[in-house]
Amino acid sequence: MLRKYHVVAIPIRIVLNTFGDHNPNGMMYVLKENEEKVKQSVKENPFMPVPLVQPLIIRANEGDAVEILLENKLPFHAGLHFQQAEYDVRTADGANVGLNEESTVPPGESYQYRINVVKEGIYFFSDLGNPASSENGSNGNGLFGALFVERRFSWWTDPETGKPMNSGVFADIHHPILPSFREYAWVFHDEMEVDDLTGNRPIHHLTNQEESSFHGANYRFEPINRRQQLIAEGVVCPNCEGEEVHHDSWVYGDPSTPILRGYVGDPAKVRVVHGGVKETHVFHYHVHQWLSDPDDLESEIIDAQSISPQTHYTVEPLYGLGSLQGSFGDSIIHCHLYPHFAAGMWGLNRVFNTLQDGSQCYPNGVPIKPLHPLPDREAPPKPTFEKPGFPNFIPGKVGYKAPRPPLGIVGGRGLTELERHAAIENPRPGAVFTDPSPESAPVREFNISLIELPITYNKQGWHDPKGRIYVLDEDLEDICAGRKEPEPLVIHTPAHTSFRINYTNRLPHILDGDAFQLVTRAYETGFHIHFVKFDVLVNDGANVGWNYDSSVLPGETIQYCYYAEVELKAWFFHDHLYPNAHQQHGVFGSGVVHPRFTEFLDSRTGEPVVHGTQITSKNPLIPDYRDFALFVQDFTLLFDKNGKPLQPPKFPSSDDDPGLFGVNYKNEPLQFRLGKDCDPAYTFSSYQNGDPVTPILRAYEGDSIRIRLLQGSQEESHSFNVHGLRWHKERGSLNSSLKEQQHIGISESFTMETYIERAGDYLWAFETEEDLWNGLWGLIRAYDEKVPDLISLTDRPEPLKRSKPLPEYTGDKPPQAEDPTVHPVEGPVRYFDVVAFQTKLMYNDFGDHDPHGIMVALKEDQEAIVNGTKKPEPLIIRANVGDTVEVTLTSELEMEKFPFPDGIYPYPVVKEQAYYPPSLRISLHPQLIQYDVKTSAGETVGFNGDQTVGPGEKRTYRWVVDTQVGACGLWDMADIRNHKSQGAFGAFIAEPRGTEYVDPYTLQPVSSGANVVLRNPFLPDIREFVVILHDGVRLYDKQGQVIFDPVDGILIPPPEIDEDLLDTYDQGSRGINYRSERLINRYRKHPKLHELFNSNVFGDPATPVFECYAGDPVTIRLVTPAERRRAHSFHLHGHRWRFDTKDIESRTEAFVGFHVAGAVKNLELLGGAGAYGKFPGDYLYRSGNIRWDIEQGMWGIMRVHDKPIAELPPLEQ
Amino acid sequence: MGQSYNDKKEEGIVHYFRKNMGRRVFILTKAFPFMFIGKIKSIVEDMVVLDVETTSIPSLEGKEWTVHIHSIEVFYIETGLGAKIPHLKDS
Repeated sequence: MLRKYHVVAIPIRIVLNTFGDHNPNGMMYVLKENEEKVKQSVKENPFMPVPLVQPLIIRANEGDAVEILLENKLPFHAGLHFQQAEYDVRTADGANVGLNEESTVPPGESYQYRINVVKEGIYFFSDLGNPASSENGSNGNGLFGALFVERRFSWWTDPETGKPMNSGVFADIHHPILPSFREYAWVFHDEMEVDDLTGNRPIHHLTNQEESSFHGANYRFEPINRRQQLIAEGVVCPNCEGEEVHHDSWVYGDPSTPILRGYVGDPAKVRVVHGGVKETHVFHYHVHQWLSDPDDLESEIIDAQSISPQTHYTVEPLYGLGSLQGSFGDSIIHCHLYPHFAAGMWGLNRVFNTLQDGSQCYPNGVPIKPLHPLPDREAPPKPTFEKPGFPNFIPGKVGYKAPRPPLGIVGGRGLTELERHAAIENPRPGAVFTDPSPESAPVREFNISLIELPITYNKQGWHDPKGRIYVLDEDLEDICAGRKEPEPLVIHTPAHTSFRINYTNRLPHILDGDAFQLVTRAYETGFHIHFVKFDVLVNDGANVGWNYDSSVLPGETIQYCYYAEVELKAWFFHDHLYPNAHQQHGVFGSGVVHPRFTEFLDSRTGEPVVHGTQITSKNPLIPDYRDFALFVQDFTLLFDKNGKPLQPPKFPSSDDDPGLFGVNYKNEPLQFRLGKDCDPAYTFSSYQNGDPVTPILRAYEGDSIRIRLLQGSQEESHSFNVHGLRWHKERGSLNSSLKEQQHIGISESFTMETYIERAGDYLWAFETEEDLWNGLWGLIRAYDEKVPDLISLTDRPEPLKRSKPLPEYTGDKPPQAEDPTVHPVEGPVRYFDVVAFQTKLMYNDFGDHDPHGIMVALKEDQEAIVNGTKKPEPLIIRANVGDTVEVTLTSELEMEKFPFPDGIYPYPVVKEQAYYPPSLRISLHPQLIQYDVKTSAGETVGFNGDQTVGPGEKRTYRWVVDTQVGACGLWDMADIRNHKSQGAFGAFIAEPRGTEYVDPYTLQPVSSGANVVLRNPFLPDIREFVVILHDGVRLYDKQGQVIFDPVDGILIPPPEIDEDLLDTYDQGSRGINYRSERLINRYRKHPKLHELFNSNVFGDPATPVFECYAGDPVTIRLVTPAERRRAHSFHLHGHRWRFDTKDIESRTEAFVGFHVAGAVKNLELLGGAGAYGKFPGDYLYRSGNIRWDIEQGMWGIMRVHDKPIAELPPLEQ
Repeated sequence: MGQSYNDKKEEGIVHYFRKNMGRRVFILTKAFPFMFIGKIKSIVEDMVVLDVETTSIPSLEGKEWTVHIHSIEVFYIETGLGAKIPHLKDS
């Protein structure tokens, strides 16, 4: 079927909330039929949000062809670039790339795009005519939208009127066979320009400083600052502080942000889209859970999910709205990054239990809009005087804080008559209106308190004087007396457990002020839970919408009640009343739901336990395992031993990245581990520095382990890496890919299930440079023989009696690691002789360069690289499954070729800069393939021997390719501060058995390179393109001046750059394979934004241009070895791939998110080059971060030829 | 045509289950709910009728289940000669 849409790109004033905050320079796509209506409404309502001002959402069905006529009324070339779709890239790309025709639209003109939509899902679209990241750009001002593609034969209606609709963020989707469902568009976006009513940047009413940047959804935001002002001005809730009522509709009425409405049990899909330009957000949705891949029943069940710019996913809440227990009321949806939450990035999912036909009102008199029941479901009962339905039975008072729930608070009130009519048959504390627990479930009771106490994070005395943590009441005295070390509370239960939590708020009424924070009256707290089943009205541990406020005052106790119905892994808990004020002080923990019938033992004594971050689990049916929990923290507000604040913000209560980092209330900064020789190469050595104070996860060789990975605070992305142990991406699926790295945002929860094959010390680390520098690392220690304080697993052979003493701290350099090659090997061996040396790296033809580059290259290539006859590229080597790989590494590093031999690296910086001189030693650490960590991990860690090499030395590593893991990162671990950002990384690719690798142009065998043809007797010839994304690069321009990216690369920058926008981890230039095509260079030469990707104007970019023929099988290996914490997304125009190449049920997408240190991905292009349509042309591959990646050069071209060219032999098929 | 090996194997399994009626059995299946522990109540053609004590899902327990022999991937019957199947209880 052919569908046609006439879309207009218009400038529009976007009013973002009822306080009049607005973007005067907004831009949007709108259907032609609504253009005049929307303009007129905005004219009539200059300070109120206009419903039609929303991101354009249009719909089609699978298999449709869609024609979109774009009329451009903006003052620059604009376009429509669609992800996911199949189209002729030469004419319908919505960009002007390489040698393609122009497909952006000049001002005042129109252009028709035709795309084919193959599969159900989200087809995000945005503008590429103006890729500027500043306020002069298009994407940051709202020029994005989405085409939602439904199952074949679907149709859609307006949820309010029941009539057919052509566009809109909310729709009811119907199908002749499948159930109808509610469809909600939730479009995150960030960094939009915001002015207040006076036309100036909004000012925070407490700090009198400019508000932080915009974070919202669907062109709306509801910031705490605005709502709190109404308290300060005495308009509402005179006794309230602010944060505890930020989401309270009793106080303020409903927010301007999206309210997703439905009835209990309605099937629903939330189409979550990131239309923004910069941040990776975390979508969290109270009460509900969903599969991480909706069509894959073996994928993980989650309730919080990160999302990078220009990526998307569909959330299908399991059991429909209200989840299994049928909970009705308001479930908040928000970005879990607290500064974003406070900035206004939240909305509500309102689940009604009575019919809404337009005749009812909310308690504040605002009419409730009608909501058509889904046609294939029984309509909910009509409201009656006795049973008015949510929210009208709740005894609240408009303008004041929501009431406390009935029954829950010890010594509190009972039910009113209306509440009794609405309640379940036998209401009890925590389960008044919905009963989540089956009668058969055993009840476990926990007495938990929230307390304040000082916490010391490391041996150097860095401490948080106002640590705030959850504790079991029985441990209260021991922890306060210092007899037990504070750690995040982790409680353990088997699945099929009913929880009863008696939660006592033992905090002082006031969180005191200091260099980091203003005094806050954080007088009430709660215990908000993820994953488990509960009654949202009374048990959310929060204060949301028209619900009750389920928190308690100091000294009070509240009873909560939940149910864990299956093995849900680790559920996160935290306070939802004052998280911005105090979660970063330690207010978080977890409950781990284990398989049924599991017993929990103290790993030292074997005694039963109910809590702990390291325990042993014993189960009668499945193998016993060690259970470990790690919580990463940022915004950790620490003082040194002399009371000096560490990394305070510019003013108290600024959210501009205050403080440092922690893991389980500890850190082990690298600056304190230099040793007497001041050589970074031994930083991680326990011989030289002793063990770190951070968790050492202890087990015996052969033990099964589960690592529960969580993030407790507060705003940033982190990248968890384990060196030498890997796990399946989906725990329940042996078909899923193996991983060694996981991106995490706050509130996400991951379980890494694996086992330790060999004894040794394994490094775990949050491995972006600044995290690692500031101490986010530790060890997994697997013992070969018995140790006295670690019980063995009951189903494993008893460890042998200790025959040799355990290694100990010596204060000296570690001993040399054993040579792995002394042991005989069977099967084929591949040898690589590689050398690390310094050389100038030219990043582009405009003269941007790194004069201090560090390369690892094949020895045979070194001379050609140095004399300029071979272009430098990162070392990319390959081997096949079944191969043993022996890599012999030589160091030729010279101190005088380092930029900062004095030991302070001034830019790009990390927090807590300190003396850390360059190491002349170097190493090569591989991901995912097998090796003995004691000899071949390419790092010197714990009590393993030295595996680095000094000048003139050689060392051979032995690695085994046991399975086809594809792309693996390779990087140096001898000096993470002075080596990696200069280029000391590469990639290793594990190929199928029997594969040969040839040069695509000469067809001669090659042993390295980013662009090869793979030849395998059982497979078609495949073109393999390796893309190494990296950042934190220190470049100089052709005049020899340091380039301070991202600032120096911003197109049409504002007169004054707001330095607060620049986080430490944004610093540095971006690269792809030691190249960067910075748009600013092109713009200076030819200042036309829409032509910046055009090869006719500029020639091809310096970044790789990968050539192929239409239909060629293509695999892209994506590797991200270095190094900053800002997550990148990746998009290749016009193509899709399976998210997980190994999993046939995996979703197919056109993007990859979360590319941050250690991330890898294999992209097997569906349909080959040019996709199923085999369209030739130039396809842009690029980051999805408009701010600040594309401008800074993170893009290139895949060129698909339609006719043979002399230089590129066609593949043999 | 003689009986195929598969037919013989299935007949053997049916026979073995019938011989052990009244005994406790542990069964793994590829499909939901994946695991059963219970007593063999009867055999109806090639179906095993179980009094189910434990499965992976609590709400499916304490009921009578009929499992097709074809869908059994792994089983163990407590005959008194080998290990006992644990009596699993939520605690």
